[in-house]
Amino acid sequence: MFGIDDPQIWMAYLLCIGGALGCIIYGLIHWNEKDPEEEN
Amino acid sequence: MASTMVLGIAVLIYLMLTCYCGWMGYKHTKSTDDFMVGGRKVNPFVLALSYGAAFISTSAIIGFGGYAGAFGMGILWLVFLNIFVGIFIAFVLFGSRTRRMGVNLKAVTFPELIGKRFQSRFIQGFSGLLIAIFMPIYTSGVLIGGARFMETALGIDYNTSVLMLTIITAAYVITGGLLAVMYTDAMQGVLMFVGMAILMVLTYSKLGGIVEAHQALTNLAYLVPETMTQQGHNGWTSMPTFGSPIWWTLVSTIILGVGIGTLAQPQLAVRFMTVKNTTSLKRAVLSGGPFIFMMVGVAYVVGALSNVYFFNTKGMLAFDVAGGNIDKIMPEYINSSMPDLFVVFFMLTLLAAAMSTLSSQFHNMGTAIGHDLYREYIMRGKIGHTISITKLGIAITIVISVILAYILPAGIIARATAIFFGLTAAAFLPMYVGAIFWKRMTKEGAIASLLVGSFSSLFWLTFVHGKEATALGISQAIFGQATLLTGTWTLVDPILVATPLSMLVAIVVSLLTKPASKEHIDKCFGK
Repeated sequence: MFGIDDPQIWMAYLLCIGGALGCIIYGLIHWNEKDPEEEN
Repeated sequence: MASTMVLGIAVLIYLMLTCYCGWMGYKHTKSTDDFMVGGRKVNPFVLALSYGAAFISTSAIIGFGGYAGAFGMGILWLVFLNIFVGIFIAFVLFGSRTRRMGVNLKAVTFPELIGKRFQSRFIQGFSGLLIAIFMPIYTSGVLIGGARFMETALGIDYNTSVLMLTIITAAYVITGGLLAVMYTDAMQGVLMFVGMAILMVLTYSKLGGIVEAHQALTNLAYLVPETMTQQGHNGWTSMPTFGSPIWWTLVSTIILGVGIGTLAQPQLAVRFMTVKNTTSLKRAVLSGGPFIFMMVGVAYVVGALSNVYFFNTKGMLAFDVAGGNIDKIMPEYINSSMPDLFVVFFMLTLLAAAMSTLSSQFHNMGTAIGHDLYREYIMRGKIGHTISITKLGIAITIVISVILAYILPAGIIARATAIFFGLTAAAFLPMYVGAIFWKRMTKEGAIASLLVGSFSSLFWLTFVHGKEATALGISQAIFGQATLLTGTWTLVDPILVATPLSMLVAIVVSLLTKPASKEHIDKCFGK
């Protein structure tokens, strides 16, 4: 995959991209979420 | 000549921007809380960039990028851990609890948070001492990296470079405190992000596209030298052979050591206490993840791909082009493959990476001495001359770091980073996890874990782990042999031995001792 034969490497490559995208999605979903335990 | 002038102007503009951000921090710093934790109202974007910029130093880009050039893309697992553990777990799980407990206990430093949670001035004082003694080694590593780069890029003498880098950074840290550190970090972070993004696009397009570039690198596997193959090297797009020396170093020291060690970095953990609420931490994940991906992900992929470029243009591998010094792979690649204007810009990226890490280290060492050691441990909580001692502490540790930068041997940069990360993981991580997640953890358990973690890590480093034990020579002097154990043991990083040991001690001792009062636990956890 992606010109990389070893699954241990292309998995890491995919996980890096997935991780970064996941962070963006998480940030957007929770953008306005208030923590019930916090008053401010 | 033209590029020297462009570089000069660019550095000047960069320094002016740095001064402006530092001045902004200074202007907004009115109280001790401002100086220590940025007044607890820092913007999430600033938090994410400052966290990332402080985390990623020149050694991550140059040192570990060069490592990828020599040993391949297996190091991408570190990028994944940096994003998943270093950003996601750190911000969402550790960050929110750390922030809340920091407010509940009115803690302004990482050792203070732990010390107050376990009602122990010893923990705070000892942790402060550990930071004050060992962080200068890490700092000098970053300082050496930054100064070596200034020497090569700007043609400034190495000794002058060390002093210039130190004085400029120290000036805004001492006057502006954590706010100045974070504002400048954020500005430097933006610069780093843009620099690395351009590097990624140019590299892939130069090599004909993503898949084509990777395929070309895969095809080079047959060129791995025989000596490297015996050590476990299977090509730049394959993991090293399981259990081989290269595998052990990659997995235990680099991937786990740096990947997990991040969680217990005091200069990073303190940043969780700078924001107003948990929402800010969650928002910070949005920019933190892509930032780390763009920094280390790009550096390691480009480092590995430099082999394709050098093979196509010179018929040589990156390792050979760099004359066997992996720290030179990235500079060699950028200098020979990138347009002049980008080389100038990338120089600034590296300068920013060095300064942003240095500034947070300076600030953290200073607060460890002034606040944790002096105010809380020696003065028993009396304010005394805390801010002055903190500033003096910053100055003293800076001087020590500078001296170390002159006397430490070449090639120490990555080692110095790994030593500090390993030590903090063993000494602080079990205690920190227990402090914020396990109400049953006791003061005795925390102290035992701190001491066992610190000393077992230092013991393993001095007597067993081959790289440090051989270099230090203490084991040789006392026992007449370079390391006490032999074989695979000498490849296992201290973090893999000392951290589990420290964790075990924390659990056993806590269960055997009397738990803290319900009132205190309620105060810590905010019930």
